Amino acid sequence: MTLSQTSRPSSAEGRLANDGGGNRSRRRPAGRPSGGSIAGFIAPGLVLFSCFVLLPVAFAAYVGFYRWNGLGGIPTDFIGLDNYRNILSDSVFIGDLGRSAIIIVLSLAVQLPLAFALAMLLHQRFPGRTVFRLLFFVPYVLTEAVTAILFGLVFSPRQGFADQLLAAVGIDAEIGWLSDRSIVLYVVFGVLTWKFFGFHMILFLAGRQNIPDELYEAAAIDGATGAQSFRRITLPLMGPTIRITIFLSIIGVVQLFDLVWVLTQGGPFHASETMAITMYDQGFQRNQVGYASALSIVMFLLSLIFALFYQRFVLKRDLQGAITGNAGNQGGRS
Amino acid sequence: MSRPLPRLRAFAAAGAAVALAATAACGDDGSGSDSEISWWHIQIEDPMMSTWEVFADEWLEESDADVTFDIQSIENEAFKSQMSTAAQSGEVPDLFQTWGGGVLRQQVEADLVRDITDELDDCIDLINPSTLAPYTVDDRLYGVPFDSGVVGFWYNMDLFAEAGIDAPPETWSDFLDAVEALQAADITPIALAGADQWPAHFYWTYLAMRIGGLENLQQAGEAGELSGDAFVQAGELLSELAEMEPFQEGFESATFDGPDGQSATVGEGAAAMELMGQWAPQSQRDNSGTDGPGEALGFFPFPVVEGGAGSTTEFLGGGNGFAVGADAPDEIFDFICHMYQEENQTRMVEDGNFNTVAADPDAVVAEPDMHIALVLEAMSGATDTQLYLDQAFPPAVGGSINEATEGLILGQLTPEEFVEMVNEVWSAEA
Repeated sequence: MTLSQTSRPSSAEGRLANDGGGNRSRRRPAGRPSGGSIAGFIAPGLVLFSCFVLLPVAFAAYVGFYRWNGLGGIPTDFIGLDNYRNILSDSVFIGDLGRSAIIIVLSLAVQLPLAFALAMLLHQRFPGRTVFRLLFFVPYVLTEAVTAILFGLVFSPRQGFADQLLAAVGIDAEIGWLSDRSIVLYVVFGVLTWKFFGFHMILFLAGRQNIPDELYEAAAIDGATGAQSFRRITLPLMGPTIRITIFLSIIGVVQLFDLVWVLTQGGPFHASETMAITMYDQGFQRNQVGYASALSIVMFLLSLIFALFYQRFVLKRDLQGAITGNAGNQGGRS
Repeated sequence: MSRPLPRLRAFAAAGAAVALAATAACGDDGSGSDSEISWWHIQIEDPMMSTWEVFADEWLEESDADVTFDIQSIENEAFKSQMSTAAQSGEVPDLFQTWGGGVLRQQVEADLVRDITDELDDCIDLINPSTLAPYTVDDRLYGVPFDSGVVGFWYNMDLFAEAGIDAPPETWSDFLDAVEALQAADITPIALAGADQWPAHFYWTYLAMRIGGLENLQQAGEAGELSGDAFVQAGELLSELAEMEPFQEGFESATFDGPDGQSATVGEGAAAMELMGQWAPQSQRDNSGTDGPGEALGFFPFPVVEGGAGSTTEFLGGGNGFAVGADAPDEIFDFICHMYQEENQTRMVEDGNFNTVAADPDAVVAEPDMHIALVLEAMSGATDTQLYLDQAFPPAVGGSINEATEGLILGQLTPEEFVEMVNEVWSAEA
């Protein structure tokens, strides 16, 4: 909300400044568009947004107050907040929250540092750098369903690649990669990491490349060691990128569905189930559309509240920088 | 200087037009044309996949109906989710796969399917009336079967012989002995698709039927509650079986279909048996890409539980059928009757390896496939048949029975918790 309010005038100014003066910026006061044009430009986006975002959310919120199997017109069996009460006592959903928390912690503790380290490595100049960048990014290009089918074969119990690899190096352990309830979640996390580290790596790489070399040169002249430069220059200046990747990681976990669904169907017995899988199972397999809608609203609120807080408190400085300070920064650098 | 502004207006006007079009698009979903028959089936392997198409082509040529077909062949699990999305949007195909039971009932109550009781006068006599029960809701017919059979143990006689088991087990303790003997011979006794859940629910259902009798289960179905000891005891016996670890390695994440699924495991001879319906031999061949155990594949009914009220002549069963969508054109009934002509039923049985639903089986199948013959033989002695619970009951209840069975087998639920969990869902459903 606050973002869009503050952004409109200032970003326009920013863009005009970027255009480097010239005759276009002089035209602006004279050529202020009419109300009709504004409405015409906003209408398509607004209609699409309403159709495909606002209306479905509103409908889900409405259906969430009913017991409904999804068939036949509109729901009629109003049950108030019962669906929400049931969610709070649904051990599967509570479990989903716990599993999501585990995946989030692991992502932040393992996946992002790995991506960061690789980005730092691939920022160095060495032969074949482009090839490595490409290779690491390739998994992200695969669709989630294809990834899941691929790893389904890798972790297949009888002839899977994972078991054979272990056997080839002399470890003859029978590991139930996807069938052992105590490890399946970590295996799923491994696949997620394989799939997404390249994406975060590219973000980090872009962030690192935005840091001007002059800073490192100046630091080197002042006698800074590599570690000091990293701590005092690289980390702080990559702050915005790091904060955004953390944000994307966490939101991604809340929405996690396709990869896990195809790989494990959330099993065995919920051991790798996510909120979105619970929602799908209830809504489309058991025709409990009212309950599933309530679940979707809970997921929506969790994401929304998290996003608002994160933007308000963590990304505050970055967003201001991106919106108001951007033109100034660029001007200052050149 | 003055040119950009009109262009801006033109853009704005175009934008507004797009917006209007989008509003129209999001307001109403177009309905299919009357002259096209959309048809979803789940036969994804030839020859049957093509045979449905051939039926359609032949009928189009013979009849003067001015319609076309849009035939989609969809894998079983994918079909279920696609169908439920279609049903929720109110746009079901004109002709679609159904297993009858509680799912069909919900569709009937939502006016998504056509009542066909009085529409098939030309051919209903060609179908065995006893196979129509799962497709009958409140004495009206809403679907026709093309396959009907029962669930039992499909076993590899070679592996049984290897383990020194002479005869198929007739009682539950014989069965447990057989499991032990197979394990002693280093043979995986049972293949199970834990991730799909429904193959596991056959075990619990059959145990409940053997302990309390089928009538007890049917009463529970009508009352909407699992009450009495039989259901808890069924869970106890199933837990005991699971504790013996009779299933293949990694069964917890195995599916029914697929190259390392339950079906392929038995097809390759990597497990000695599976509890499955009449389609098992065909699935074993399709999924394993082999000829399956062939003549070594036998069939025995689920054993009796000593002291239980049930007998081996009570079966869990059902089959495959087609239901007709609410908006289907009338011509479709003529087409259905075309499919049920006896010579076409013969082709269905031959190409699809289905278990015939013909009123006069001898006219349709001269010499049934050896495995189909085993099912027919079992059915001929059947005193009563119960439709698979995950189809017979409302989807929420069936789903929770499936889920609870998985939990029970994995040791995550006690037999008491199983019954509690299902009853909780059921009481909310009523």
